[in-house]
Amino acid sequence: MAKVQVLNVSVLDNPSPFGNPFQFEITFECMEDLPEDLEWKIIYVGSAESEEYDQVLDSVLVGPVPAGRHMFVFQADAPNTGLIPESDAVGVTVVLITCTYRGQEFIRIGYYVNNEYTDPELRENPPVKPNYTQLQRNILASNPRVTRFHINWEATMEKMEDSENVDPAPNAMLPPTSMPGKAPPFGLMPDNSMDCL
Amino acid sequence: MKLLKPSWVNHNGKPIFSVDIHPDGTKFATGGQGEDSGKVVIWNMAPVLREEDEKNENIPKLLCQMDNHLACVNCVRWSNNGLYLASGGDDKLVMVWKRAAFIGPSTVFGSSSKLANVEQWRCVMILRNHTGDVMDVAWSPHDVWLASCSVDNTIAIWNARKFPEIVMTLKGHTGLVKGLTWDPVGKYIASQADDHSLKVWRTMDWQLETNITKPFSECGGTTHVLRLSWSPDGQYLVSAHAMNNSGPTAQIIERDGWKTNMDFVGHRKAVTVVKFNPKIFKKKQKNGSTPKPSCPYCCCAVGSKDRSLSVWLTSLKRPLVVIHDLFDKSIMDITWTLNGLGLLVCSMDGTVAFLDFSQDELGDPLNEEEKNAIHQNIYGKSLAITMGSQLSSTIIENPEMLKYQQEQQRNQNPNGAQASGPENQTPKLTNVLNGESLEDIRKNLLKKQVETRTADGRRRITPLCICLNVSFSYPGTSHQRCSTLIPQISSDSSTANSLGLRPSHDPTSTSPNKTAEDNKDSGTAAVNSIGMKSNLLLTSASKIEPMKALDSRFTERSKATPGVTSVPLTIGITPLDRVKDSSSVKEPKGKDETSSDSEDKIVVKSMTKRKGEMEGAEVVEKRKKGRPRKDAKIMPISQPFPQVTFLLSTDVSTDGVTYLEVENEVSVVSGSRLSQLKWSREGREWDTLLPSRIIIATGSSDVVAVACEDRTLSVFTACGRRLIPSIMLPAPMSALHCSGHFVMALTASATLSVWDVQKQTALVKNESLNPILSGTDATVSQSFLTRQGVAVVSLSNGKTYCFNSSLETWNLIADKQDSLVQCADFRNCVSSQDALGSMGPLALTQGRNLSAGRLASRLSSMPHHLQQGMTLAFLEKQLASALILLSASEYRHWLLIYARFLVNEGYELRLRELCQDLLGPVHKSSSSSWETTVLGLRKRDLLTEVLPVIGQNLRFQRLFTEYQDQLELLRLK
Repeated sequence: MAKVQVLNVSVLDNPSPFGNPFQFEITFECMEDLPEDLEWKIIYVGSAESEEYDQVLDSVLVGPVPAGRHMFVFQADAPNTGLIPESDAVGVTVVLITCTYRGQEFIRIGYYVNNEYTDPELRENPPVKPNYTQLQRNILASNPRVTRFHINWEATMEKMEDSENVDPAPNAMLPPTSMPGKAPPFGLMPDNSMDCL
Repeated sequence: MKLLKPSWVNHNGKPIFSVDIHPDGTKFATGGQGEDSGKVVIWNMAPVLREEDEKNENIPKLLCQMDNHLACVNCVRWSNNGLYLASGGDDKLVMVWKRAAFIGPSTVFGSSSKLANVEQWRCVMILRNHTGDVMDVAWSPHDVWLASCSVDNTIAIWNARKFPEIVMTLKGHTGLVKGLTWDPVGKYIASQADDHSLKVWRTMDWQLETNITKPFSECGGTTHVLRLSWSPDGQYLVSAHAMNNSGPTAQIIERDGWKTNMDFVGHRKAVTVVKFNPKIFKKKQKNGSTPKPSCPYCCCAVGSKDRSLSVWLTSLKRPLVVIHDLFDKSIMDITWTLNGLGLLVCSMDGTVAFLDFSQDELGDPLNEEEKNAIHQNIYGKSLAITMGSQLSSTIIENPEMLKYQQEQQRNQNPNGAQASGPENQTPKLTNVLNGESLEDIRKNLLKKQVETRTADGRRRITPLCICLNVSFSYPGTSHQRCSTLIPQISSDSSTANSLGLRPSHDPTSTSPNKTAEDNKDSGTAAVNSIGMKSNLLLTSASKIEPMKALDSRFTERSKATPGVTSVPLTIGITPLDRVKDSSSVKEPKGKDETSSDSEDKIVVKSMTKRKGEMEGAEVVEKRKKGRPRKDAKIMPISQPFPQVTFLLSTDVSTDGVTYLEVENEVSVVSGSRLSQLKWSREGREWDTLLPSRIIIATGSSDVVAVACEDRTLSVFTACGRRLIPSIMLPAPMSALHCSGHFVMALTASATLSVWDVQKQTALVKNESLNPILSGTDATVSQSFLTRQGVAVVSLSNGKTYCFNSSLETWNLIADKQDSLVQCADFRNCVSSQDALGSMGPLALTQGRNLSAGRLASRLSSMPHHLQQGMTLAFLEKQLASALILLSASEYRHWLLIYARFLVNEGYELRLRELCQDLLGPVHKSSSSSWETTVLGLRKRDLLTEVLPVIGQNLRFQRLFTEYQDQLELLRLK
């Protein structure tokens, strides 16, 4: 069962100029204490035609996540205009928020985004080369598209596989003195070494 | 009889495997198959019961649905107290659900359906143990245990007060276990499996009581479930699928000798489910006819694979009613309403049916009291009595009592209002956090949220915790989470509060990015199909094309987003709370080595002044080396004394910490060595010199006592003035304690003396320890002096004695091996306010050993009268011990527990004796030897405290009134 349920996402600063950062306020609920962080990503779809133009605007770790209800604001810079095909700059595209746990995506929230010129004249006669300073980004906040995936929330099986597949070298190379801080309490050692694997 | 098939109760056509009505009768749960997962749905009962409610659109039908189970749900069961719902499914899990009261109705984020969950039920516990599908779950009487059975051939018994602890796994079935039922008295649990056997297990030792195979040997084929049931009077157990003369039956098994002489015959296919009505009935009295005494009887519903349902009364030879073709497929589960007149049945065909009987048809249900009387007749034990009986039918005989009862209700009502408060105040609660409204927080969340960088430079946001989750709260225990969390200091003041709790293991780990690997799953991924409002964004027709192309992006896990690939080797270290660490390690030493004061005092001290505590602890440690062994077998002490000996002493009566410092051989004056004793408290100091080496020094708020190598004992006032000339001891000192103005000395020749240095009298004069030491190898492990001057000596064999100076005897006050301690069960009688009163010398000697009956969790394992007797004996012993230790607060504490126990268990004679002793003679007479006080407590004040306890049980209302009146009378005098 899914340990994390997204309860709500509010789109902040919307609509806004194209160059403004994206801001999403995400509220989620967690069934039990998560030993690992959640990883959230904002992906901007540059072109409907191809995933090639997808940009990961940012990815953050969110943690620690004890059981309970939590919220945070995920802010990410506007997409790199250089990576967007000129023909797709104006019009409808998509921004995605994904969340992964232990590398497995379990929720994907998508919003339609409409990029339009605010100036009626530009709207009538759009320049061939998009003028990003004049573009306004409007996220269709009222209609999120949510897809949930079943994932394995438990570590046990996956870790077994991982430990077999992972080259032990990175561990061996790490001199013991490079452990951050002082020596961790003995009780924590096994946990951490598991995480390293 | 009325029959209803509420069509709105369905799982969209998918099979419903289980149904259970909530104990309060207002809702019921169904379990079964969902779209792509298991499904548990909670429904409102009112629309089933009343047609007008069914038609009223404002009355919700569906209260909550949960699709957290990964696979089909085979069983849903409410706990007897109605707080929890347990569900078991094909995903091998048992989930325990609790209503999250602080969350109002809400929809699922991103869901198109406007159907809100009216009630929020959250999974508070996932029980993982079974390696196969869970087929049935059952709560024991009083919700002590939860049992689950599985196709892995085992039955798991979970400790329902301490999930996810497993009490026992019952192994023995050689086939899929498909049904469970508890004996209503709690002595047994029965299970039925595909291995053609029905097994009855004892809850006392979880061993097999009996294995019944004969009625099942012919059973061919298989049924999905085998839900058996135990009659409410406990006398009969009725199995599911059994065979008699190659016809399917439900076998009746008698509790007495597990005889299998009778069965329910008539179904054409295998019986899948049997469910007894929770009520016991007696014949309906016809108007006008004289009441004839008739035997009470039970009622039982039987459902079968042949799609028919039969209802039987044990007083009739033929079924009361048989309903054929009620469903299209096999009946899967049956549940009765608590009043015994309604019945819900569910079927594999995905529908449920409701049967409504009248009292004319079934008979008059016995009320709880009559049912208890039957239990008590048969088993000598009533389930209700231990749980606070519901004597609703008892008539209140006088206004005094009525007034008292009403007051009680009034006192309870505010609590009740509070309990329901959070539900009503939902919006308020979630919107206000630390005095800041949620809106304010949201405005500044971006600025205020804690953002850090991991070792590899990735952003890491600490989410703002809005509220901790509903957690499984056990009655009488504190919030569990607190113990596993340590405070984390946050620099941001506004979030500090809400982020205050975080797990102590805090792996700053990163999730490995293996998105590519997971892509193969995307084909099977669930898709939340939501209609897109077409009018909102479509500025021109040409835009439709790309949007279709975009649509797929919502649902597919993308390949092009491998994310930032980095698996850095960061190891999170929660900053160690060093201060806490060091003090907590040393504190126990302080307890052991500090010879004068008791454990609880030290706790107080460590709370008041932590810094002092730490210094003190160090001092104590140094002193350890040189301390003479408190060996009671007792030879001249030959250890060399160190150059410097320190000793710490504290007293609880002052806030500060007191130090005693001893320095031997400070200087040598004309051949004799001088030792120095230094004393300091809150900056005030004094010191004095002694002509011999000091071996032990100790002190209290009033006096300081010092024992020297030359067998002298000197006593000083707290200001350093010598009180008495050196006392010459018969043997070297072994242990020395001070408390108040009492000094206790334990010498190496195993003798004990206690003096009152203020009155200059001896309370105990050179009393030998031989009576308690002879015949054992035990040595003295601990000794102390109570504030009332009672000497207490603990031996290494776990026994603790005190010397009673008036009787001049040694009295055993605690024994770790005492089986009474372990078996006594008085948890019901302990109220939360009592915790403080339990602190004292008695608690100190019994220590953690006294965990309110560790074995008592096996509440029903022992014959009840035996347990009753043991508890009674134990409580009386505690009372006597507290008395002899002159510990007033503990005496009062145990007296109240004792009184509650007597009230709960119905010991009227003892209760009367207790009241009589507390009240004393109403009319003064010179011959009476009655003391008005006990340990400085006025007995009649104690009676005033005890009486409300008695008043709680209407059975004793005459006793209550009798003493209430007399007390009133005395007060007027």
